[in-house]
Amino acid sequence: MRARLNKAWVLFSVWFAHMSAYRAEIIIWMLSGAIPLIMMAVWIGKARAAGGETGGFNEQQFAAYFLAAWITQQLIVAWVAWELDYQIRQGHLSPKLLRPMDPMWEHFAGHYSERLVRLPFMLLIIAAGLFIVPGTRLTPDIGHVMLYAVSVSLAFCTRFLIAYCIGILAFWFDQATAIDDFYFVAAAFLTGAFAPLEFYPPALRGFIEWTPFPYLVYYPVRVLTGAAQGPEIVRVLGVQVLWAAAFYVLRLALWRRGLARYGAVGA
Amino acid sequence: MLGRQQARGAHPAHARPVQRLSVSAPALETTLPRLSTYREAVVPPVPVITAANRTSRSRTGRVVPLRMSHSNQPAPPAIQVLDLEKVYTVHEKEPGLRGSLASFVRRKKTLVHAVDRVSFEIDAGQMVGFLGPNGAGKTTALKMLAGLLHPTDGFVRVSGHTPKERRTVFLKNITLVMGQKQQLLWDLPALDSFLVNQAIYEIPNDEYRATMREFSEILELEGILKKQVRKLSLGERMKCELAAALLHRPRVLFLDEPTIGLDVNMQVRIREFVAEYNRRFNATVILTSHYMADVTALCKRIIVIDKGRIVFDGDLSALVEEAAPGKTVRLELSENVSDERLAQYGALTSREGLFANVLVPRHATSRLAARMLAELPVADVTIEDPPIEGVIGTLFAGANRTAPAAASVEVESATR
Repeated sequence: MRARLNKAWVLFSVWFAHMSAYRAEIIIWMLSGAIPLIMMAVWIGKARAAGGETGGFNEQQFAAYFLAAWITQQLIVAWVAWELDYQIRQGHLSPKLLRPMDPMWEHFAGHYSERLVRLPFMLLIIAAGLFIVPGTRLTPDIGHVMLYAVSVSLAFCTRFLIAYCIGILAFWFDQATAIDDFYFVAAAFLTGAFAPLEFYPPALRGFIEWTPFPYLVYYPVRVLTGAAQGPEIVRVLGVQVLWAAAFYVLRLALWRRGLARYGAVGA
Repeated sequence: MLGRQQARGAHPAHARPVQRLSVSAPALETTLPRLSTYREAVVPPVPVITAANRTSRSRTGRVVPLRMSHSNQPAPPAIQVLDLEKVYTVHEKEPGLRGSLASFVRRKKTLVHAVDRVSFEIDAGQMVGFLGPNGAGKTTALKMLAGLLHPTDGFVRVSGHTPKERRTVFLKNITLVMGQKQQLLWDLPALDSFLVNQAIYEIPNDEYRATMREFSEILELEGILKKQVRKLSLGERMKCELAAALLHRPRVLFLDEPTIGLDVNMQVRIREFVAEYNRRFNATVILTSHYMADVTALCKRIIVIDKGRIVFDGDLSALVEEAAPGKTVRLELSENVSDERLAQYGALTSREGLFANVLVPRHATSRLAARMLAELPVADVTIEDPPIEGVIGTLFAGANRTAPAAASVEVESATR
């Protein structure tokens, strides 16, 4: 146990140092994920045109929803598919495989510590958002923030594992990252980053509810903004655990099969 | 490449290009069968492993020691390989748009036998050199031994474990150093990567400090450990790679081109380090290298691989003796002598005015040299073994030419 904690701590601190070296790039990268902020402006405009409210959302609620969606999106970003694809096809996975630790944990530490590098800039954007739309209440109380922390962590794990599964496909296909690009398109529409799911046609929403996507952004946002209460929060967290577990199992199965196909090219 | 070879050649024999000494084809054809008889003589017979006990494991998942047909062996070898095979499927495409379109519809597949029924055993503490031309299958074999590649067929055991299972005990016991393939974090000082390895391998602090002190001294790491890895020179990086790969003090080392791209001094230093490590920890070492000096300095036993097959396994000195059954007598004459007269003693391999090289059969060297001294106007004479590069070169050339013969010999030795 002590050795495990030590491993986690060393990996975290070393990767934090690594990510800090990329802080400028990370900020630029954050800006490229600004869709929810753009959508916020669009929907607020729509609400104003409709006389202050549309579909049960007023200006402040839209602002809270999209700010929370943006935060969530920032916190669940995962690029491991791209990294893994590169490592597998270029043979850079080899030195990682020689060590007595699943290479996944190093990627995980990298992603996790990168969140800390993002944090200061995120707080800045949140403050700006709250200033631009006066009267916006991002969250009702500290309890919801803490539940959101759990929920967004689970969302991150799920997104990370989805990306990992996609990356593993590089054992079979030459361009696994193409599938991850497809994920981005799907995620934009299905996670609720474009619009709250309330605005979707009921049939489409019924379908989306059976995918992991709304549990990546839409539901964590509801937890943070206080739109979700007691029983709903319990259900959301439960479903999130199930999705994360499902992708964990899938990841392991794909990993074992993929390793048998590893070519260890180069060098 | 050539420049480096020349720079390295403190010994004049090493500086010579590979093809200079080419023994004629008939000589080689007689050499090859003799090589394999030699191999049977030096290499202990491979234990007979039947299909039944090949995969034998107890219910607890622990590996059961193999039943050997010769049971008087005291300790099992550190590395056992039997009929190891790796077959790749390669997709081929004609160049250009037409080829791309054609391969879009139907891809042409070919099977490549990168490693083709290779068998050998290596005892604990032994240092063995893998030699072979590019693409011979050396690296593929090493990667299978290290558990990176799953064999297509065959049996591998490294210090009692099946590598592809990649168990923690196995991984803590081995290392594979691959040229400049980096395990170091590019944007951080090497020391950070060392700390990561310390944690992952669960190395206690005092052991870590002791190892680091030792490595710093031998490899002169002082002052480079705190620099960003990307700012290090190639040699410095290679030293750090090596230290990182050996931090957990593995007992089995697979070194794939550990000195590639390094200058002469650095090559010597790394060689000394490996030799010292082998002495200290009784580590088993398999080394591949393009630089013959690495191999001649470190390894007594040589395994030569060509086209995925073992063409020689035995002593380095025996390899020279068997593959190059001649010595070169270098003559400096005091007056001119006709080529025909020199050719009476052996094959005239070069002639420039008063300087002549005559290749003579190994067993008759002293007799013929004495005759030359007596019968010719000799100002100076030296007798040389052919350079090892040349020996290996002719061995490959011969193996390619007489592949069917080599194959039948392999079958023979396997059935005996």
